[in-house]
Amino acid sequence: MKTIVCRCEDVTLDDVRHALALGFRDLEEVKRYTGLGTGPCQGKECMALCGFILAERGCVPVPFTTRPPVAAVALGTLARGDEEG
Amino acid sequence: MSDRVPDCTVFLDGSAVRAVAGEPVAVGLWAAGVRVLSRSVKYHRPRAAFCLAGHCGACLMRIDGQPNVKACQTALREGQRIEHQNSWPAGEHDLLGAADAVFPRGMDHHTMFTSPRAANALLRKMVHRLGGLGRLPERGGELAALPSGRRRKVDVAVIGAGPAGLAAALTCAQDGKRSVVVYDEQDRPGGSLLSHPRFGIAAADALAAEARAVGVELRCHAAAIAWYPEDDGGLLAIDDGGVLTKLTARRYIYATGSYDVNALFENNDRPGIWAARAVGLLATRYRVKLAGRTAILGDGAYAHALAEALASAGSNVEHLASERVLRARGRLWVSGLDLEGGRRVRCDRVAVAAVPAPASELARQHGAAVELRAKGGGFACLVDGRGATRVDQVYACGDVCGFVGVEAARAHGHSVGRAVAESLA
Ligand code: FES
Repeated sequence: MKTIVCRCEDVTLDDVRHALALGFRDLEEVKRYTGLGTGPCQGKECMALCGFILAERGCVPVPFTTRPPVAAVALGTLARGDEEG
Repeated sequence: MSDRVPDCTVFLDGSAVRAVAGEPVAVGLWAAGVRVLSRSVKYHRPRAAFCLAGHCGACLMRIDGQPNVKACQTALREGQRIEHQNSWPAGEHDLLGAADAVFPRGMDHHTMFTSPRAANALLRKMVHRLGGLGRLPERGGELAALPSGRRRKVDVAVIGAGPAGLAAALTCAQDGKRSVVVYDEQDRPGGSLLSHPRFGIAAADALAAEARAVGVELRCHAAAIAWYPEDDGGLLAIDDGGVLTKLTARRYIYATGSYDVNALFENNDRPGIWAARAVGLLATRYRVKLAGRTAILGDGAYAHALAEALASAGSNVEHLASERVLRARGRLWVSGLDLEGGRRVRCDRVAVAAVPAPASELARQHGAAVELRAKGGGFACLVDGRGATRVDQVYACGDVCGFVGVEAARAHGHSVGRAVAESLA
């Protein structure tokens, strides 16, 4: 049975443990290996959860890079955004 | 408690559902007995609303032909067409859900396609079919019909109209010497006041009215989406009701609050497992009658406040303050919890009151430093006694500096608002 860490990308606790067993040690690496934090919410829930899992193992986690946009935005809003009205 | 009277008809996958216009789609469908809103992207696990705050992504549906619309942030209206996406043939009966059993513990996509070659090609096809979110919209927009952007300059920009942001704005604007505008992504101001049974809509509206009275401009449906440091010496991009606003301010105050976080146990994503604050919203803001039994997980002040409020409203509550949950039971909707030590609890919903995680991404984009704090729920913004981050002109207050809850967030907002006003005097 699965314990979900990242609900957007269906990344399980076993997936995270597997990545740790392979030697990955920081959030950026775990993100790149498992896909955690790459879904629609961009890690709003799972980054902290995974950070604590890493901290339990003695790592000092730093957050993975946050990229625009932090909230979902329609392409239409950006499409003419540069022309000022 | 409930004064909800269905007054409109919407169509879910073509079938009529009676609902209350103006309520969020996710709330109306749940109240009408719909259990599964979406399917997860890889294993097609059943999903339903978790946060009701637009943050968890568990409620994405196709609404009026637009894919990936958040059902918890979209108001119900007469004749609306709502569809499940990425499930086949229907949300509650999704044959692709077999993927969940095929990969019982998870999948390592790095080694999946390595051998043998023929099986590989097949597997790859299958995984492509399984993945992805929704289909393209039925109609594209006309470029000329899209709104053009706007540029704005203000003295103080506050991001987030929760207790911290409203308090900061109102204190900062009190002497009438500067322009203060607050942006919030939700449909009304209040933030975490709205989900707290001891505060709710009345307290949120009162604080918002106080802020407006001293000249604060409150803008809802306006999500700050990014800080772009390279444009014109830096600008904050805001999706203000669909119009891109490029904002520059003399001071920025991030009062972005906190995100709901789940607890880790087997099947912790079952529909019916909500963030405690979402259950608080159902009871306090949307006034939906919570029939059956609610299990509340957690020992924080909020868990106790919610347990008390539900019990005094006559709801059946099982508060599991310190028990360890091993797994959730139930296939399409939670029916109970297995606890460590063998105890089994029957319930109709679960409210997870884990410490929420600081919503610190925007402040981080703007250069603020953060630190992982167990008590603070995640990566908390580092600020000094005046609320200043390490970046000039950038301040933060409330839960974004480590979860503190409604009252402490409001107090912090007042003190940071004062410091920002002084810095501009
Ligand atoms: S985003 Fe809608 S329930 Fe979380």
